[in-house]
Amino acid sequence: MIKFLRVTGRSLEPDFQEGDFVVVSKIPLLIRPACRGDVVAFHKPPYGLLIKRVEYLTHAGALFVLGTHTASMDSLQFGPIRRQDVLGKVIGHIKKPRRE
Amino acid sequence: MLYELVEKLDKKFGFDRARAHCDVPCGIYDPILPQIAALTVVRMIDLMAAFDKDHAEKDLAYFNTMTRYIAVKEEHAEKVKQDVRVIWGDYFKAQHIEQYPELQALTHEIMSLGSKCRQTVDREVALKLVDKLNRFAEIFWATKNVAVKRAKSPYAPALELVYPNL
Repeated sequence: MIKFLRVTGRSLEPDFQEGDFVVVSKIPLLIRPACRGDVVAFHKPPYGLLIKRVEYLTHAGALFVLGTHTASMDSLQFGPIRRQDVLGKVIGHIKKPRRE
Repeated sequence: MLYELVEKLDKKFGFDRARAHCDVPCGIYDPILPQIAALTVVRMIDLMAAFDKDHAEKDLAYFNTMTRYIAVKEEHAEKVKQDVRVIWGDYFKAQHIEQYPELQALTHEIMSLGSKCRQTVDREVALKLVDKLNRFAEIFWATKNVAVKRAKSPYAPALELVYPNL
């Protein structure tokens, strides 16, 4: 129910950077649906396992997700994410030491 | 401290990767783009040399045309570097480098030659860039199990390029 993932890519910068680790779990989403601002990991064929921020929930309960980077690949391109494709919500964030 | 610990766990257990990628993984890569850009660099050097020889008077028109040649040379030498960086970073994987250990040094040499082509008007350097890109293309197509052929480009400067033999 809890999983460690390593972040690759830059679409969630500056909050999440390449090499950061996140802890994701589905448990919080069983208690309360995802809401705006939550960061979730989900499966999206053919792109694989992605991580994005929830912008809003559609009427059908699907998640419209966005990156923070202007060139992000997100729901603007591939549409909302079905709830069953969500691996979990980010509940922990271990940042890679930043170079000043 | 915590990061180092988790990183060690990642090395041991291999956590999944969560992609926060920006670009579409389209899978379309072709070294012909930097190869043609390198030909353009050679062509610009040739045009610059010929134009300079034919125009004794260094007037405004001369500088205007010469500047345009230089700008195109700059742009295409940089394009070589950009396109090769994308193939190097996005297409080539660890197993390719293992299979072709020269890739590392070859890519670095292309970067250096690309810079040299911007800094100078040395035709020999530009020719070497074309030559290294041909080798880069040979390796690229070999990783895709696509046979290659060598043929002269059907336009000036008519240099030999490596093409996929489709």
